[in-house]
Amino acid sequence: MTAQSGPPVIRVDHVSRWFGNVVAVSDVTFDVHPGITGLLGPNGAGKTTLLRMITGLADVSDGTVTVFGESMRHNPQLYRRIGVMSEQESVYEFMKGREFVEMMARLRGVTDVAAATDRAIGYVDLADAEHRTMGTYSRGMRQRMRLAATLVHDPELLILDEPLNGADPRQRVHFQHLLRRLAEEGRTIVLSSHILEEVEQLAETVLLVVNGKLAASGGFRAIRKALNERPYHVRVISDAPRKLASAVVQLDSVDAVNIDPNGAIVVQSRNVRDLQIELPRLAQAASITIRRVDPLDDSLDSVFGYLAGG
Amino acid sequence: MNSVYTLTLRQLATRARLLLMFVLALLPVYAAAQSNWSEEWEIVVLSGMMAGSILPLVVLAVASIAFGNEIEDRTLANLTLTPIPRWHIVAQKLLAVITVSGPFMTLSAFAVGYIAFAGDVAATVAVTVSAFVAVLMYSSAFVWAGLVTSRAIGFGLLYVVLWEGFFSGYVSGVRFVSIRYYSIALMHGLDERRFASADNLSFGYAIAASAIVFAGFLLLSVRRLRHMDVP
Repeated sequence: MTAQSGPPVIRVDHVSRWFGNVVAVSDVTFDVHPGITGLLGPNGAGKTTLLRMITGLADVSDGTVTVFGESMRHNPQLYRRIGVMSEQESVYEFMKGREFVEMMARLRGVTDVAAATDRAIGYVDLADAEHRTMGTYSRGMRQRMRLAATLVHDPELLILDEPLNGADPRQRVHFQHLLRRLAEEGRTIVLSSHILEEVEQLAETVLLVVNGKLAASGGFRAIRKALNERPYHVRVISDAPRKLASAVVQLDSVDAVNIDPNGAIVVQSRNVRDLQIELPRLAQAASITIRRVDPLDDSLDSVFGYLAGG
Repeated sequence: MNSVYTLTLRQLATRARLLLMFVLALLPVYAAAQSNWSEEWEIVVLSGMMAGSILPLVVLAVASIAFGNEIEDRTLANLTLTPIPRWHIVAQKLLAVITVSGPFMTLSAFAVGYIAFAGDVAATVAVTVSAFVAVLMYSSAFVWAGLVTSRAIGFGLLYVVLWEGFFSGYVSGVRFVSIRYYSIALMHGLDERRFASADNLSFGYAIAASAIVFAGFLLLSVRRLRHMDVP
């Protein structure tokens, strides 16, 4: 459960960041409370820039970011309470996995380094590979060992940028269980992803970022409902487009029909399931041959774009 | 809190790099052993070869990647996302650079001094100490360069060839802002008996300038690491 009472763990207040003439993040405001919050958006939406500003790795061009009520920039002591796993997957290839986690424990002032390292590596189930150099690890193993290093000082706040990159399905399930467990223990977890389902399975609260702006925020159900109700566009190529268009527009599942310059019809529908059933029947009844059906906006960008526009 | 130092040592002291430094460090020793020492040779070997080219190049090969490699492969965030003050990170990295490059160049200078001056202790100490101070100055400067540009090697080469090699040799005023000439002046100041006839910067000026260069670039590095966007 997300505890919305009490001061926010993270407060992002009218934050913008630009690089020359390029605006990466534009006037974004939100609060993050304990529990799992998903930062969702297509690639290039500004998620990583936003997380980098929250973690103090990058400065803001405008606005303020506070974590536990304090600014992260020039405040290294705050990192005792925060674990950050960046999107970048580079590791010290010459270093053994255990050495890496131990080093991160020492750097963060952990007193019992050996016990903390055992616990963190146990979290990610990599004890059998801890004495191998990380250069020999698979991508998923590197991610898991990096997560162990992120958890080794038992942080109250976890910020994870695309943490499931490179993980196989079994590792994803393990990772999801682990994050839920950590959240149940009262931690605040922010995780970014460009995969809707990934966030849906984990996050109670979603922040949807599109083109550097906060397009939507709130519970996942509300965002999913908006997704399900969005109109889809389907292009249909047939031997009688005008006849097909006049018939299709009569269907309850269809909102609008257009004929494009190439002679194909473009159907707009909010109920694609019914359209899939009704379209072949209708064509058969009218003796029209359908040559091809293409969904036009199944890409994530169109989904995010719709939500941002809507 | 010496994890940064240990990590940097492991990153810098690769077998290939150590071998390269060893070979470069042998060159002035070989030159000293092959020649009949004269004032001309002092200029060629000590000023030109040691202080003006081999020593800065060896330090450049190590110092420029102390931060440069971690910025490039984006592992620097592992260090900056920790409670360690930024100046600790810079100081430990700089210390690691000096640990790796210092012994090669200091031992090389010692051997050159010993061979060239036929076991004269004062002259040998003067050459060795001035080489070590040059390592300190170049290390501080090139660590900073590795933080501010991804082309630190190119920048460093240009600096060594043009500034320390060309301009400082032909434009007398440039000597007042030349690490090479600070170290030569230190050497001369440490053994006035042998090097009394040389036309150099004053010993006091060289000491002050060396301290300013070392501390100045160290402070610039700390400032840079505090304010930069860490990739």
